[in-house]
Amino acid sequence: MKRIRRYLPALFLFVVVLLLWELIIVLFQIEQFLLPAPSVILTAFYENLDRLLHIGWFTTKEALGGFVIGCSAGIIVAFATARWSTISESLMPFAIAANSVPIIAFAPIVNNWFGVDNPLSKMMIVAVIVFFPMMINTVRGLTLVDPAALELMRANAASEFEILWKLRIPNALPYMFNAFKVAATLSMIGAVVSEYFGGNRSALGIFITQEAAQFRFANAWAAIIVASIVGIAFYVIVLLVERLTIPWHSSMRGGG
Amino acid sequence: METPVVALNGVNKIFNHGSPNQTVALKDIDLVVEPGAFISIIGPSGCGKSTLLRLVGDLIQPTTGEVQVKGKPARQARLNQDYGIVFQAPVLFEWRSILKNIQLPLELRGSSREERDRRARDLLGLVELTGFEKHYPWQLSGGMQQRASIARALAIRPELLLMDEPFGALDEMTRERMNMELHNIWRQTETTVLFVTHSIAEAVFLSTKIVVMSARPGEIMQIVDVDIPIPRGEKTRQETAYFEVEREVRGWLRRAEGYRA
Repeated sequence: MKRIRRYLPALFLFVVVLLLWELIIVLFQIEQFLLPAPSVILTAFYENLDRLLHIGWFTTKEALGGFVIGCSAGIIVAFATARWSTISESLMPFAIAANSVPIIAFAPIVNNWFGVDNPLSKMMIVAVIVFFPMMINTVRGLTLVDPAALELMRANAASEFEILWKLRIPNALPYMFNAFKVAATLSMIGAVVSEYFGGNRSALGIFITQEAAQFRFANAWAAIIVASIVGIAFYVIVLLVERLTIPWHSSMRGGG
Repeated sequence: METPVVALNGVNKIFNHGSPNQTVALKDIDLVVEPGAFISIIGPSGCGKSTLLRLVGDLIQPTTGEVQVKGKPARQARLNQDYGIVFQAPVLFEWRSILKNIQLPLELRGSSREERDRRARDLLGLVELTGFEKHYPWQLSGGMQQRASIARALAIRPELLLMDEPFGALDEMTRERMNMELHNIWRQTETTVLFVTHSIAEAVFLSTKIVVMSARPGEIMQIVDVDIPIPRGEKTRQETAYFEVEREVRGWLRRAEGYRA
């Protein structure tokens, strides 16, 4: 009950915004191609439900694939470099610089590498996008360890492996979950936007561009809703896993 | 003669040795700690008292000289888990329950599960934290956290306990209560304690000997014997002997601060 009451204001705001939106469009007679009313979008959503679910799942798979590949690679590289501090110190500036490169700009080139219709080309874009935040955060989590905690481990004759397993990895988990959350959001954005540059027709990004080109804006909006729902769901799943994995962390204490 | 628990022989510690900004942290330190002693190290801030403690724990190495613990080189003693250590911060792992935190040194030693559980529960009783086994560090007050960290240091039944200003972050009342508890723990466990502090009151109350160090470069100025009967208690702080030792230590500290200034 408490939880429901906590989310009540947000829910209320959501309904109010939708009603205002509907009202403004009726009152000011705004043309549909500029901004369709929520009721129109909802109708389009139901009329195209089968299609939307199909293409939504297709894009979700791309996002998921990219997420798994990118995060795994990020974690592996982070562990490899954090082991040798000189490597990670020399690599980190490049990783941070690469993190601010608009990777999505490479989409047409990557389409060319793996084939424009191949879902792998989208997965690779997503993978590269999520790789850098994942790697940077994992390296930070593994290396930004309380010096006194390291002394404590050494005072107790801990081996390098024990320090990694009992100190560095638990210390890195909150950092890694932050990266997972960023990656979850980025992966859906990355998948949809990289589809804008062409590819398999049964994909959300392609659907949005095509419907928009033919002035069926309500359909485009319906597809955007699907992308949003998947993106939010992805984020919430990561949040739940985080809660189960690191219940001890300070960020988890709010609801306790 | 019994083997001293700690023996420092002509120890010098120079940070950034050979570079233009080198700092002499410790100079010509000779110190012998007998079994069962409670030795406090006191001195102006930056005099290298923590450095001295870390040398004994082999967490840093001397530039010259020799550090022995229980008759072995400090490194060997560290690898044998011959000492327990308590820092100014409790340094509890936030992902471990209090019980699991206390068991950490035993885990690293490879003790069996039953032994770890038994030992940790005994220790929780000793530091009066029974009932907090399953709590996480953030659920405990600062004083309770520090008690848990003392229990962790005692887990391996060390003959030597190194303490680096363990009560420095606590308020005065909590600190006095913790002093009393530490005194009782020391008597019960018969552990030798090397205790770094900047509180004269604390040093006098707890110690059998007080090592007064001078400002940088840290040298041992004077070793003050504390002839106050043991066990000590609430009344100790009102005894004449207590005031006399306190005055003596204070006098040496004044000179220590002005020593190089």
